[in-house]
Amino acid sequence: MSTQTPDESETESESEGFSPGEKRRQVRDEAREAREEAEAAEESTPEGDTVPLKVFRYDPEIPEKQEPRFDEFRVPREPGMTVLDALMYARDHFDSSLTFRHSCRQAVCGSDALFINGSQRLGCQTQIQDLDNEPVRIEPLPHQDVVKDLVVDMEHFYEQMETVEPYFDPDETPEDELEEQFQTPENREHVKMSTRCIWCGACMSSCNIAAGDNKYLGPAAINKAYRFYMDEREGEQKQEERMEVIAENHGVWRCQTQFSCTNVCPKDIPLTEHIQELKREAVKDNLKFW
Amino acid sequence: MSQTYDRGLVEDFGRWREFSAGMWAWLFHKFTGWVLIGYLFTHIAVLSTAIPAANATSQVSLGASGDVYTQTLQGLEGVLLVRFLEVGLLAVAVFHILNGVRLLMVDLGIGLEAQDKSFYASLILTGAIVVASVPTFLEGML
Amino acid sequence: MSTTRSSFDAGSMAWLLQRVTAAFLIAVLAFHFFLLHFVNHAADITLGGSAYRMQELGYLVTMLLFLYTATFHGVNGVYNALTNQGIEGTQKSVVKGILVVAALALAVQGTRLALALTQVQVTP
Repeated sequence: MSTQTPDESETESESEGFSPGEKRRQVRDEAREAREEAEAAEESTPEGDTVPLKVFRYDPEIPEKQEPRFDEFRVPREPGMTVLDALMYARDHFDSSLTFRHSCRQAVCGSDALFINGSQRLGCQTQIQDLDNEPVRIEPLPHQDVVKDLVVDMEHFYEQMETVEPYFDPDETPEDELEEQFQTPENREHVKMSTRCIWCGACMSSCNIAAGDNKYLGPAAINKAYRFYMDEREGEQKQEERMEVIAENHGVWRCQTQFSCTNVCPKDIPLTEHIQELKREAVKDNLKFW
Repeated sequence: MSQTYDRGLVEDFGRWREFSAGMWAWLFHKFTGWVLIGYLFTHIAVLSTAIPAANATSQVSLGASGDVYTQTLQGLEGVLLVRFLEVGLLAVAVFHILNGVRLLMVDLGIGLEAQDKSFYASLILTGAIVVASVPTFLEGML
Repeated sequence: MSTTRSSFDAGSMAWLLQRVTAAFLIAVLAFHFFLLHFVNHAADITLGGSAYRMQELGYLVTMLLFLYTATFHGVNGVYNALTNQGIEGTQKSVVKGILVVAALALAVQGTRLALALTQVQVTP
């Protein structure tokens, strides 16, 4: 028995009314489909039936692994396998000390953000067959301290998120306890993409400014602030407080529009666009003061 | 809890092949910026020979070349290396301007879907302008 | 809606000014290069020639504005680049001080030299 609803593909071709980010993703998806079709038509032989992996290893408690090194594994190639599948196979069959975070394996929990072939990606969202180079190089996220193997210290990331107070605050709740706080569909559309953040940390890890300036809030935190700042149900008092946090020296102004965050976000959130919108808001806000 | 390991700046220049367009743009804009500000200070310093030159004489003809200002500047322009450096300066300034236009567009929210293409366009246009200007810059030295 | 902001937001003003000066500089730097390398040739610079140009009021004002906006844009750019790299605390305040002094010195010296050129009488 199938409980699936009819498939409504979101890659339909009309492009009116689409935001720049959506147009970009559409172009990218179409290009990828075309590429995959071409590749499928071309080749019928797989590239060998094992996938070579080169995995970063570090363990402060084991003498041999106190100096980081790369271990090689050869994992049987299965159609549709992801990097996470490969890592799990390696751990289950070759080396049970191989340590990495993972949970949902469907790109909603944000646990398995890794540095795969030089890009920040989710392990569960990265298909082995989509990767251009083998052996597949798997490393922990850059710019963060490594705890063990592929596990990094996420404390700094969480601190920056907490700084923007990532929760809803309407100043006053309606007097009648059962009264709803409405949001128009347009407003929902405006904040829709920013609600998708899964706190994986890929964006912050890809930002060169976040790497240099330790106090920079980072794209994820600013996007979180955006999600609430732009929500019409939030209270004005709270809005002003939010603006003060993100318009600080190490808030939105540190963003240099490098676009790395937007490129790596596994949930396709147009982070740079959101940060830019907040910069413009801050400027308008400031000019009004004068 | 046992110590953690600081891998340092992983995305350093050793991994330049993996840099995205936006990252190159940021790097080049910074680099050209430093060159330009350094040049600005040098430029004003060199042009300051106009002050003693102006003090030494109250009247000069349009083409007169005896004063320290004219001699310094024409002397520099006579050195082939300086001419090449000027072409370099042009490249740096043109890139900074073109990428700067790209950044202004980004700041205004225009054309974000083509931001990486516009970076490559600025590089190519910079190259074209520099190549086209070489004859003028090397005039009199060939 | 009344704003209860009590502190002036320096960050947004600096960001805005960097862009405004950028737009101005795009036009003026292009003009400057064009005038001094293509219309006139750098190899033919003379005191008389420079003074002749600088005595045109519109040109003088443009050059002075050019100087001040370029000084701000450049020095502010350096300050931002260093902040992005993570400079902080005392080191940051010291560097800020040096940059402000350097910027003022540049602006003053440039103004002096432009004005000196206006004092030279050019005979044809």
